Amino acid sequence: MSGKMSSMGGNNRIFVGGCIAVVLAAIALMTGVRTDYVFNASYVVLQFIVLASAWNILGGYAGYVNFGTSAFFAMGGYTALFMIKMFNAPLLVQIIAAACCTGVLGLGIGLISLRLRGIFFSIATVAVAIVLETVILNTDYFGGAKGLQMMRPEPIAPFTSYDTMLFFVMVLMAISAVAISRYIEQSWIGRGLRAIKDNEEAAECVGVPTLKLKLIATVVSGALMGAAGAPLVMYMRFIEPVSAFSLNYSVSALAMPIIGGTSSWIGPVIGALLLGSVQQIVTVTISSELNVLIVGVLLVFFVVVAPDGILGLVRKLRTKNSAKGDAKGGAQ
Amino acid sequence: MKQGNPKNITRRAFVGAAVAATAVASTATFAQGAPIKIGLSIAQTGGLGAGGKAALLGLQMWRDDVNAKGGILGRKVELIVYDDQSNPATTPGIYTKLLDVDKVDLLIAPYGTNPTAPIMPLVKQRGLLLMGNFSFEVNERIQHDMWFNNAPWNDSVTWFSGFMEMGMKRGAKTIAFLAADAEFSQSLATGAKNLAKHNGLKTVYDQKYPPNTNEFSSMIRSIKASKPDVVFIASYPSESVAIVRAVNEIGVGSTVKLIGGGMVGLQFGPIMESLGSQLNGFVNYTSYAPEKTVEFPGLKDFLSRYAVKAKVEKVDPLGFYLPPFNYAIGQMLEAAIVATKGLDQKALAKYMRDTEHKTIVGPIKYQRNGEWANARVMMVQFTGLKDKDMEQFRQPGKQVILSPAPYKSGELKFPYEKARN
Repeated sequence: MSGKMSSMGGNNRIFVGGCIAVVLAAIALMTGVRTDYVFNASYVVLQFIVLASAWNILGGYAGYVNFGTSAFFAMGGYTALFMIKMFNAPLLVQIIAAACCTGVLGLGIGLISLRLRGIFFSIATVAVAIVLETVILNTDYFGGAKGLQMMRPEPIAPFTSYDTMLFFVMVLMAISAVAISRYIEQSWIGRGLRAIKDNEEAAECVGVPTLKLKLIATVVSGALMGAAGAPLVMYMRFIEPVSAFSLNYSVSALAMPIIGGTSSWIGPVIGALLLGSVQQIVTVTISSELNVLIVGVLLVFFVVVAPDGILGLVRKLRTKNSAKGDAKGGAQ
Repeated sequence: MKQGNPKNITRRAFVGAAVAATAVASTATFAQGAPIKIGLSIAQTGGLGAGGKAALLGLQMWRDDVNAKGGILGRKVELIVYDDQSNPATTPGIYTKLLDVDKVDLLIAPYGTNPTAPIMPLVKQRGLLLMGNFSFEVNERIQHDMWFNNAPWNDSVTWFSGFMEMGMKRGAKTIAFLAADAEFSQSLATGAKNLAKHNGLKTVYDQKYPPNTNEFSSMIRSIKASKPDVVFIASYPSESVAIVRAVNEIGVGSTVKLIGGGMVGLQFGPIMESLGSQLNGFVNYTSYAPEKTVEFPGLKDFLSRYAVKAKVEKVDPLGFYLPPFNYAIGQMLEAAIVATKGLDQKALAKYMRDTEHKTIVGPIKYQRNGEWANARVMMVQFTGLKDKDMEQFRQPGKQVILSPAPYKSGELKFPYEKARN
């Protein structure tokens, strides 16, 4: 027991060290690189790390597939827009407000739709996205169908450009999302969610508080997705419902954990880094058309060949190798 | 060890030196005349993809023509193009790359309003010239003074006024609106409603529908039941096709004097061909129709050259709507660079603002907001069309121009039920 505790403590130290290294690397990048494009492209990849990690809390750990990522993401963006228009709020306040708003939305969806399971839950999340998009489309305050353009304010010191500032904010958000996802995975919440995923009735019978855990998962997942959407207004300098509620966000947030592996917090990070980077590179090299194809092909490939994602594949290979090693040792 | 003949070494050395000298000289020449890089994103996929492909061909034809003449100020023109998937979320990243990594000299906006909208604050904050590409009222909020749109319109009032005047002249008292719940159609419909109200037209039907709707029978039946004199439709390509088919199937009633107005897609060859005779009687906007009243120097030559290339590239074979206006962007940039003898953005913008530009789509003069000072949205009525015949659209008399007055080539046939037969 104490051995396990000390190994967890060691893992935590490695994780914290890794996070500090990421922050230092980001600072080095900001001081060394002068082209905003690098920060622009990295921002998108980091944004997908947040979305994928958030999706995985509910979809990966609890097995509740959410197709409504775009709804939370867009609501985060529109909450930020509201905060700008109403209070001229700074970015940090926009993000907090977006997280609170979409956390409450997550709670609502949790209460209503967690009575549904499997495909019915997924359909309900799609319906939420459609309903919210329709509401925004018909709300003139948010620009309706035409959307709204925004001028960026001056970046806060010590940032030299708004792109670098958004990049750094997203680095911190990605680290926070991954840390939260990791905490949930390794805590009693994650154990409970995994029990729900395996057999919800059985979990309930042995005293797992299923509703409470599912609500925690929907609230945290929703809040993180909304927080990721909050800087969208200033990143794009524009927001309109069709692109903000785009199904691409939902598909990517789902594809990335599946490709990386849904069983652990690192899976969505690997998937987002891989798929997000490929998408960014392909957009400006070959053709944007291939973006969708790449996501589709990778998704089909991993679902068929490696249903447990890259993590599962690595684990399988390791087991195979160690089995081979054991066999060799036995033969000798 | 093999020893070389000293004579041979000298010859080799001479050849080597000559090659090196040529390489150095050519590098120097290249550096002197480094290409003028023009960057843009243009939809090649997604909802705007079909139009974007044709538009890009027009721009590439200008580049080829200019380079065949030796370039501009002795420098070749290079287009750096990315596909934005018709998605505004992709354009901030693409334009940042164009500016910071590709180091383009000049920018052209994406095709369409939504992909352009995020670029406007960017170019305003960086003080850059931006040539617009068929967007609508995108500079209304930002008011960037270095923005110049190639589309022959300025605001929704000037767009709709020709259509409405036709209805008013024929004694219209009531109007019905059917518009997609999307940016362009809603902007257009809002302007149209304001103008209709101002002119005392009573709205008897007003319906929004979600984009990509393809079932309009209930809406067309409701319009028919409300007995309007004028039906204004603002729709996108797939919806326009479905609406035309629904109207032909169900009818809109004998009271309707004119129907159409803001239907995107009815300007594209493949859609026009597929609808054929079902288009008869519809009145809709366009940027060009091959009527005898529309003669601009160079346009016919462009369209005949375009038709050959379009066949190879498998894009809109007619190319009336976007390609000539994209060619015109190039012409205006070329004239501005030559006149200002450089690529200074402010000098180029001043030239753009102060000059009446001679282009293959006619003279273009800009007003303060970067839109055309003399809007020229053509309202045409489709008449005498047969099915499955692309070539008929190249003939005059098939898209009769009803407004604006200087280009008028015929009279409105009404009511619609009579005009469609």
